[in-house]
Amino acid sequence: MTRNIWLTALALLLPLLSACQGRRGLEPPAPQEIETSVFLVGDAGEPNPRQLGPALRHLSEQVAAAPDGSVVLFLGDNIYPEGVPQEGAPEWADARRRLRTQIQLIPPGVRAIFMPGNHDWGGGPFGLYSLRTQEAWIAEMAGGRDVSMVPSNGCPGPVPFDVGRLRMVILDTQWWLHDYIVRDERSNCDTNTSGQVTAALREQVRPTRDDQIVMVAGHHPLVTGGRHGGYCGITGPFQRFAGRSQDIMSSANRTMRDSLESAFSAHPPLIYASGHEHTLQVLRGGRSVHYLLVSGSASKRECAVKMRESYYVSQNRHGFMRVDLLRDGSVWLGVYRYTGQGEGEGGLSYSRLLNPRR
Amino acid sequence: MMTQRETLACLGVVAACLAPVCLVPGQAYAQEPTEAQLRILRIESTPIGALPPLPLPMPASRDHHYWGIRAQAGNRHQGGRDLLALAGGIDLQWRGGSIFGVTGGYQKRDCALAGPDCGGHLFVGGRARFNVVTGGPTLAALVGDYSATTTLGSEIGFGYAPEVLNGLDACTIDVGMPISLAMLQRVRVVTFVTPGVVLDSDCTSGPPTRASFITGLGVGIQQLGLRELDVYLGLQKIFRQEAGYQFGLSVTWVRLPSLDPPGR
Repeated sequence: MTRNIWLTALALLLPLLSACQGRRGLEPPAPQEIETSVFLVGDAGEPNPRQLGPALRHLSEQVAAAPDGSVVLFLGDNIYPEGVPQEGAPEWADARRRLRTQIQLIPPGVRAIFMPGNHDWGGGPFGLYSLRTQEAWIAEMAGGRDVSMVPSNGCPGPVPFDVGRLRMVILDTQWWLHDYIVRDERSNCDTNTSGQVTAALREQVRPTRDDQIVMVAGHHPLVTGGRHGGYCGITGPFQRFAGRSQDIMSSANRTMRDSLESAFSAHPPLIYASGHEHTLQVLRGGRSVHYLLVSGSASKRECAVKMRESYYVSQNRHGFMRVDLLRDGSVWLGVYRYTGQGEGEGGLSYSRLLNPRR
Repeated sequence: MMTQRETLACLGVVAACLAPVCLVPGQAYAQEPTEAQLRILRIESTPIGALPPLPLPMPASRDHHYWGIRAQAGNRHQGGRDLLALAGGIDLQWRGGSIFGVTGGYQKRDCALAGPDCGGHLFVGGRARFNVVTGGPTLAALVGDYSATTTLGSEIGFGYAPEVLNGLDACTIDVGMPISLAMLQRVRVVTFVTPGVVLDSDCTSGPPTRASFITGLGVGIQQLGLRELDVYLGLQKIFRQEAGYQFGLSVTWVRLPSLDPPGR
């Protein structure tokens, strides 16, 4: 009798098991199907000084083959460890080398945007100086390429721009978390308070046409299963006591995320893209956004755990993400992951269509 | 891909298949229980011994508290007899890590001890499981799975079962240190071990007896067809003579937030 019970239970579970196998990765779309590509590259500020590494090399190859109008979004932490150092410091030349390596990946005809991250602000009161110098370096190193820092001049954003059906909204999330001066007499920003940022963001995520795809990007993730999310080591309740603003568990970080999510609530964007964690994560959004992408392993790599909300997690591997807006109206996400240095191994490790959740 | 409604319907069928068996009284014959038998009986009558072990919860966002429901069926096989138990529970996953739950269920009495018309008894319990260390692949890296997660935690639980035998109420309290390893991406396969110690007592007559070691082993599939659905098989051993083994099935479902309607 007992044996029959378990056999019955297992038999009923088999359809569930088979249902799980129904999810298959999608092949990359053919070039002629792609309207616009957005490459999400995070935390690229520590490239190997001797070789490009597989992630950045493959990124360069894909960007070169992408359609005109495509965008490469560097999601912050463009110069490790502390952004642009003081002029004359021993790290000065190496900081320029780190930034130049990234800019040289960008071919003509492709737009590249460098967003600030917490490391670009540095850990002290020289944040605005560091950001403005980095912005000047980017303009100088661009050499005719369409490369810029957004938001500009140490402003918090949000800065919207449209590429075909795509609306991108760029934020400087470290502006919310920096412990030192964030504006001065040279700032001249459209938004100067967190309330103004939230109000502007609320307007900018509202689609202006029916088929518009809205993607918001900021350096810090809204949800993460990595070190900054209270995982990888001693977990959240104990990390809470540390109170680091860079971590999800801190009150400053929470205030920022609550503000952003309240701005999204009326019109949830399809994607919120971030870096900060040195991992690749695709997550289910909560109430305020459909999908959360964390792409912060262009030059550094760390641990991450797969959470209940995770569709995909890659830890301890370099990589980047690619979002393709297809001519048939759909949106394709590809996660590219690589091992080792030099030639490396890897490629497309996860993909899915980003359909709005119901 | 099965819909949530279809999956829950399947689970309902599983529960319906198991329920009648648990509710049918077994063969009735009585003997005077020894103290050793009573000790085992007290443990196996409460949730810690009646129901299969569970791993630590799958990590989740630190921003949310998630409610979940749980259905469990366990069968303890000892001395040629089967003690079937069915239970349901409600869990609260607090900020993605620790989980607090209550359980209520029904178990067949051991007719060898309870005598004719042995029937069954109810049991209730509570359990807190704390996710202490969650990290990278560790052992799984040896087989090349860099999406794996190793979790180490602690747990404490209590249980109460009235009238498990004539005039005997069973109480238990237990502590444990569950360890789990979850692997793969699309379907998460988790293996776990739940070593612990349990103290049992006749609730009405004094302090607990000496401790018994208890260990669970299990394997499960998290996000089985649905993001919210986990299924686990568990095997448990109480390290006392004649305690036998318990084998069971657990199904959990966690409620994830949906998008708010536009215009809110």
